[in-house]
Amino acid sequence: MEKKNFKLNAAFINKNRSYLLLVLIMICGLFAKNFYTPYNIQAVTGNGSLVIWLGLGFTIVLIAGHMDMTVMYMSTFAALLTLGLHADQKLPWLVCVIIGALMGILNGLIMGLLVTKLKIHAFIASIGMQLVLRGVMYVYCNGKELSIGKDYTWNDMLNGKLIPFLPLSTYFLITTIFIFGVMVILRYTRLGRNIHMVGGNAETAWLAGIKSDMVVIAAFVISGLAAGLGGALNGIYSGAANVTMGEKGISPFYMAFTACVIGGTDIYGGKGSVIWTYVSLIMIAFLKALCKSTELQVLVIGAALVLCLVYETVAKYNRDKVLGRRPNLYIEYKNETGNAK
Amino acid sequence: MMKKSLAILLSGTMLLSAAFMTGCGGGSSSAAGSSAAPEASAASEAPESSAAPESSAASEASDAGSTAPSGDVTVPEAAQASYEKLLAAEESLMTTDNHPMMAEGLSFDVPAVEGDAAALEELPEEDKNHWHYKEYLDWDQSADAQFPESPADGQEGKKVILIVHGAHAWTTCYTDAFKSACDAVGMTYEIYDPNWDQANQDSYVDQAINDQPDAIIVIPVSADHATQQFKKITDAGIPAFCSNTTPEADAMNFIISYTGPNDWYQMRTLADMLGESMEGKGGVAYITHNVGGSPYYARCYGPLTELAEKYPDIETLDIQSPGFEASEVKQVVADWITKFGDKLNAIVLADDSDQAIGAVEACQAAGRSDIKIVAAGISKQGLDLVKSGDLFGMSYQTCQGDAGLAVRTVSEWFCGIDIPRVNYLSTDIVTKDNAADFEPCQW
Repeated sequence: MEKKNFKLNAAFINKNRSYLLLVLIMICGLFAKNFYTPYNIQAVTGNGSLVIWLGLGFTIVLIAGHMDMTVMYMSTFAALLTLGLHADQKLPWLVCVIIGALMGILNGLIMGLLVTKLKIHAFIASIGMQLVLRGVMYVYCNGKELSIGKDYTWNDMLNGKLIPFLPLSTYFLITTIFIFGVMVILRYTRLGRNIHMVGGNAETAWLAGIKSDMVVIAAFVISGLAAGLGGALNGIYSGAANVTMGEKGISPFYMAFTACVIGGTDIYGGKGSVIWTYVSLIMIAFLKALCKSTELQVLVIGAALVLCLVYETVAKYNRDKVLGRRPNLYIEYKNETGNAK
Repeated sequence: MMKKSLAILLSGTMLLSAAFMTGCGGGSSSAAGSSAAPEASAASEAPESSAAPESSAASEASDAGSTAPSGDVTVPEAAQASYEKLLAAEESLMTTDNHPMMAEGLSFDVPAVEGDAAALEELPEEDKNHWHYKEYLDWDQSADAQFPESPADGQEGKKVILIVHGAHAWTTCYTDAFKSACDAVGMTYEIYDPNWDQANQDSYVDQAINDQPDAIIVIPVSADHATQQFKKITDAGIPAFCSNTTPEADAMNFIISYTGPNDWYQMRTLADMLGESMEGKGGVAYITHNVGGSPYYARCYGPLTELAEKYPDIETLDIQSPGFEASEVKQVVADWITKFGDKLNAIVLADDSDQAIGAVEACQAAGRSDIKIVAAGISKQGLDLVKSGDLFGMSYQTCQGDAGLAVRTVSEWFCGIDIPRVNYLSTDIVTKDNAADFEPCQW
């Protein structure tokens, strides 16, 4: 059996950067006032949950080699729809949330079909669908803000604790359960392996007999479901929603993208993990709580994104260069950097 | 080598920035210090008699409203020294345009209507009653939450957290005045700025609750969202105050007191002046504030309903929300001029700075000096445009007075004084004739 060598080198730091950064932030929290209070932990994780849903969908589609930029508008639409259906049609919260999630699936399906059947680049298709969703939202609520009104039942439930001794909101726990469910799909099912394979090399995947189109559509559908369900729950959790949500300050979409990159998801597809994104987003949520100034939050998150992107680009360039020269050299190179298996 | 360096650089940068952030964990400014000293000293130098224009403004607003009752105030012994300090601050602090910064608030009578908010929203948008619950904060007082009791020991040494809506010249002016007012009455403060982001403001509300201050003041980014924010604060046992932008009526169940402008009233007054100058006929188009916030409704549907009621021959041509970029507004107005031609006779703006600049430029470019433009104010750009005649008129909404009124109301609550649930600022209309009364501008 091959012995694993542990080396605290660049490769180790890079591979585990989301975990290390989270630990770093939590250590910094020791020196901040009122950081480790149950209320703060519950609030920070709860408020960060929407971005986790968006990051989840974004990561899956990115692993599959595409980009779903509709996640933010989809989540806003699901939130508006959920609140509107409850207020106007008097539907129970559960039915409203299910409809919100179904709309997300529909959006994912349309995106998947546009990308696979009509061969439209995901970036272009996303921009088109963003405008469609925005238009639908304006038509639906006429630019007005929608709220839960005086019905606080589900709002209190999502804001409250599911497990009394655990300082985590129900909303965050639902988010976490969903994340682990998707992680199981990605890691232990054929669909998950196929998503990785299609993202890594679509041609090879096709030669291996994988129905690439179906896999890509499935990735978009899971992304849409996450955005729809997360948005619907977030609408109730936060109590209100409007069309311009996320357009000011730090956009949830950019946070999700940053977390994907920091987490180590390959922007060219084929590699990534929803758990990495999840850990990165928790790290970003606590980072935001640490730096109370919005300007500082933007600066730090932006700097982290740029550094990670530079690192990824340089690493890819080096890898391609080595691979292009002598394939065996790549194995030697990996051994040298301590990342051998 | 390159990879190693980058990895180390990444870790190092994050460590340094995190350590830096932890070091300045207090975030924004804090503590009653010297930061606002120039403001206070400038105020103390201001002559007592300079309050005259404010009196006239107040008297005008008082036609519709009345000053909140203030006579025979009973202050508990423990709060006596603090209250005297508050009175001294009320006397001495003046705004940049020489009006009292901590003037007493006004209250308005709420007209009776039949039907709840949902029923009234069935009415056409041109009907005043459609907006009744947004305009009058006519909330169901029987549903009020259990508010924390005043400590009745005065405001000195108390810590308040102010959560504003976002970065803007107005906000800077407001926070500077807030700091000087807090310093003058002996309160410490911390200020959070979510930069117009609703989710960020929600996070700041949670952080503020986590810090357990003596009171939290919020300028809500959105009217509907405010209910949840104030509910959280009140549920945590912290006194919640709302400033500047009016929340949904239901939010008042969780707010000890609202202080700020009566945006609806001042915009209606402006619309009256506009309607009269148009001799009751013509077409009006509207540029709104940010969608969702209370100024969005007040500054668009306030004048719209007023004109619809008093001048039925005046037609509403269009309502647009291009934001606060002058270039965007200029484009919208240029499109209107092309589309409506001579039918466009007046424009109502929610902002007298960048929006006004954009609208004026578009009218000048098209040679349409006949279009009357009115706006909610009062900024330096707006006042300059009024003086040059490009802006027909604007409302006077004191920014520093807004902050002063918030501090005054919170202080009175700490002193154990009964405070009105709604405290409005006095207002006025600024035209070319009286522009000099409002100089130098506050922001």
